[in-house]
Amino acid sequence: MMATHHVMGVTGAYPMLVTLWLLPLAGAVLCWAFGPQLRGLAGWLASGAIAASFVLTVASWASGTQSAGGALGAHQYLFSWMPGFDFGLLLDPLSLLWTLIITGVGFLIHFYSIGYMHGDRAFARFFAYMNFFVFAMLTLVLSDNFAGLLVGWGLVGLASYFLIGFWFERRTAVAAARKAFVINVAGDVGIMFAIFLIVANVHSTAFGDAFAASGTLSSGLLFAICVALFIGAAAKSAQIPLHTWLPDAMEGPTPVSALIHAATMVTAGVYLIARCAPLWSANSDAQLLVGTIGGLTALVGAILGCVQWDIKRILAYSTMSQIGYMIMGVGVGAYEGGVAHFFTHAFFKAQLFLGAGIIIHNLANEQDVRRMGGLIKRMPFAFVAILTGVLSICGTPGFSGFFSKDRVIYGALQHGHPWLYAVGILTAGITAYYMFRLLFITFWGEYRGSVDPSDLGIRHPELSGVVDPDAGAGHAKEPADRAHHAEHAPAWIMSVPVGILIVPTVLIGWLMFGGDTSPWNGFFASSFPSAALATPAISELATSGVVLLLVIGGFGIAWWRYGTREAAANAVERLRNESVRMPAILTHLFYIDAAIDLICVRTSQLLGQFFGRLVDPLVVDGTVREAAFGARWLGVLVQSLETGLVRAYALVLALGAACFIAYYALAVAR
Amino acid sequence: MTLFWVLAAILIASAIWTITANKAVYSVVALLLNFAALAVTYLTLSAEFMAVIQIIVYSGAILMLFVFVIALLSSGVAPLSVGPNRLPKAVAPAIFIVLVAFGFLAYAVLGATAVVAPAAGANLGTVGTAGVFGSVADFGKALFTVHLLPFEITALILMVAVIGVVLLAGDQAPYVATRRHAERVEREMREAILREGR
Amino acid sequence: MAVAISNYVGLSAVMFFIGVAGVLLRRNPLVMLMSIELMFNSANLLFIAFARAWVANAGQIFAFLIITVAAAEAAIGLAIVVATFRDEKNVDVDQVRLLKG
Repeated sequence: MMATHHVMGVTGAYPMLVTLWLLPLAGAVLCWAFGPQLRGLAGWLASGAIAASFVLTVASWASGTQSAGGALGAHQYLFSWMPGFDFGLLLDPLSLLWTLIITGVGFLIHFYSIGYMHGDRAFARFFAYMNFFVFAMLTLVLSDNFAGLLVGWGLVGLASYFLIGFWFERRTAVAAARKAFVINVAGDVGIMFAIFLIVANVHSTAFGDAFAASGTLSSGLLFAICVALFIGAAAKSAQIPLHTWLPDAMEGPTPVSALIHAATMVTAGVYLIARCAPLWSANSDAQLLVGTIGGLTALVGAILGCVQWDIKRILAYSTMSQIGYMIMGVGVGAYEGGVAHFFTHAFFKAQLFLGAGIIIHNLANEQDVRRMGGLIKRMPFAFVAILTGVLSICGTPGFSGFFSKDRVIYGALQHGHPWLYAVGILTAGITAYYMFRLLFITFWGEYRGSVDPSDLGIRHPELSGVVDPDAGAGHAKEPADRAHHAEHAPAWIMSVPVGILIVPTVLIGWLMFGGDTSPWNGFFASSFPSAALATPAISELATSGVVLLLVIGGFGIAWWRYGTREAAANAVERLRNESVRMPAILTHLFYIDAAIDLICVRTSQLLGQFFGRLVDPLVVDGTVREAAFGARWLGVLVQSLETGLVRAYALVLALGAACFIAYYALAVAR
Repeated sequence: MTLFWVLAAILIASAIWTITANKAVYSVVALLLNFAALAVTYLTLSAEFMAVIQIIVYSGAILMLFVFVIALLSSGVAPLSVGPNRLPKAVAPAIFIVLVAFGFLAYAVLGATAVVAPAAGANLGTVGTAGVFGSVADFGKALFTVHLLPFEITALILMVAVIGVVLLAGDQAPYVATRRHAERVEREMREAILREGR
Repeated sequence: MAVAISNYVGLSAVMFFIGVAGVLLRRNPLVMLMSIELMFNSANLLFIAFARAWVANAGQIFAFLIITVAAAEAAIGLAIVVATFRDEKNVDVDQVRLLKG
């Protein structure tokens, strides 16, 4: 049995924890092994596995929040892979929350996928990957130590790679998958180094041991650990400058974007920082760094969201921006706030993606908003879904996003970061602008699907390359073979999950009502280290007012530019002008891809060429070659001694013997 | 004392005869004389078993082997034909090296001052008496107790030597002894492969 | 026993170097092998003389072992001579140069 200090004192138990964890894996294996036999049933089987896992998670509520031995939660010891290095599952309020989202929202998206992926050639493979992803994500959040977390961390990256490149016939999808994988592995390496540092100094990978030692580690070391962990978090959660893979990841099927690249996987960085709250709370430098990068990401993501034309890319940048909020929240120490935003975001962003998926599905895989328009009449249900999502993400009072975003923004002020507070408020305004821009372009006016693309300023009507810096103008098409399949699955399969999601999207935020005394904060009362809070001069209510004003301002600009009757009437001309006149810095996405290309890729290439053309042939091969020639030269030299005359050898032998005798006679015998 | 000098004279003289004799068989005779004198010397040094072994193994077995080989080779077409000396310049340095090494050794021996005396109460007695140092019983006991492992290893070495001799000199020896032989074997193998048609 | 040990060492040394001279100067392989036997025996003489001086029969045991090894060596050496003679029809060591590099 393992020592309880490994797991922060958790002694409670939940017998079904392992079942809950392994069910998705079983589903993945079944779908993978029996895909051809299962056919359409694979979707139901996979959804059933996740549903069962979700039911077990709900049933674990009491266990996950039980108080035993002074700590909340349940723990399941699995095995020990080295003396003192145990592996187990830990279900405490934090991992319980994530598990609920992963299995709950995961189930809805699985269910939705039955309709969305209907008729795809690799239907079963898709669900095998999806189930595998859920298993990997559960491994990540349920692990009770850093090593297990890293395993889950790597596996979700792998699942993400599989699913982004799901339509591997498309060159862009493969490139996007590769890009996501490479950047994520860079993050994995960061976490690995953090684990090295922790093991070298704490001699354990268990969370409990590392956190207990956080007070005794030097601040420089702690900062190094936090930075290394944050490199992993930034890569996974698309924080600047490691965010470039996320928009490209929209090459995957839309449910994948909803589950992996909006609701769950990309929030793993938030989970990591919230989990390692004792480390961050002990080091204010790390807090400042992470909070700043989070705020910056929120702002940059929002700005870039304003200039996108691909509906999924707009949502991707908004995801990046919202995760920036979360990272900012957990970074500055407002853990409840950051986690709350993760919670509400999982619902409304999943809903936005699924709503967008309905549109894409019904428009034969059209993703460019310029070729939409007027959809309010054709798809009222999608409009409702996206409208509620937009209202929630913008922070309309009463909707869930309002409460959680408020907690983050005000948390930054409470923890003494007025600049981040300002950035948060500004970003909220920009968010309102680009989300309502999306809404108006898509649903207002007349349908523009029959307009010539060049009249809309679409430069590359077929595909945008991931490597193409003009990716902002891109609009990926899903493969033709599933573009016009004869029959659609019943519409309710896709509508029902979206309908269910609307409820939490609208209402769930009330859990956070009441600020620091809300039920939400009560739930996490013992999960995070408490910090002395400043009493800001501005009240939370006033902050909400300011945010609301900016949101209304953003809405107003969007309305003025895209929403008015006059704008809708001249939509084609306006959209073309906007496309053509967009500043280069925005179409090139602040040149971040180009910078990465210059700094990392070109440097590596130069280094590779240096080693490949100079070091390898001259030094490595040269050493081997010269060693061989040297041996040969030596052989030629010695060859002359090998006369083949036995007596000559005997003479040399005798000379040697004489030398021996002389040595003993002179040096030893005397 | 006198016996030692007589034996020493016989040993040196027979040794010189061994290496200077014109015919190999004379060398064998000289060497036989040398070994006999050596056996007597061993007796004077309380090594009775070694004296017997010297006669039986060296004179009886090894020298007989030499004689047989001489007989075998002499029956050939050109027995022991000696060609031109390819190393004429080696004579002077060889003699020089020998003399110098011997000089060093003599220098060391004559300058030695250490006296090696038998330990007090050592069981030295008349050669041939049972139980004294160097008797067969004494020797055998030591050989089969303290030095058993080297003894057994020696047996292994002899076995290896027997197998080696059979391989080297046997009638159907599968070895490759000389370049000519190697070429022949190679040619035969090549022809065999060609016959097989592969 | 009035003979000093140094006399035996001297005698052994003389025999040894006669053997060395034989190996170096003769071209008949049989005589060379016999010279090697001479050297073996000089070493044996030394072992036995010192065994007597120290009253330790380990020296005699060593001499015994040397005799066995010498027997093996002689057998192998003679086998090589026979094999060489069979192929080369010649046993002059200066003519046989298989070891030439």
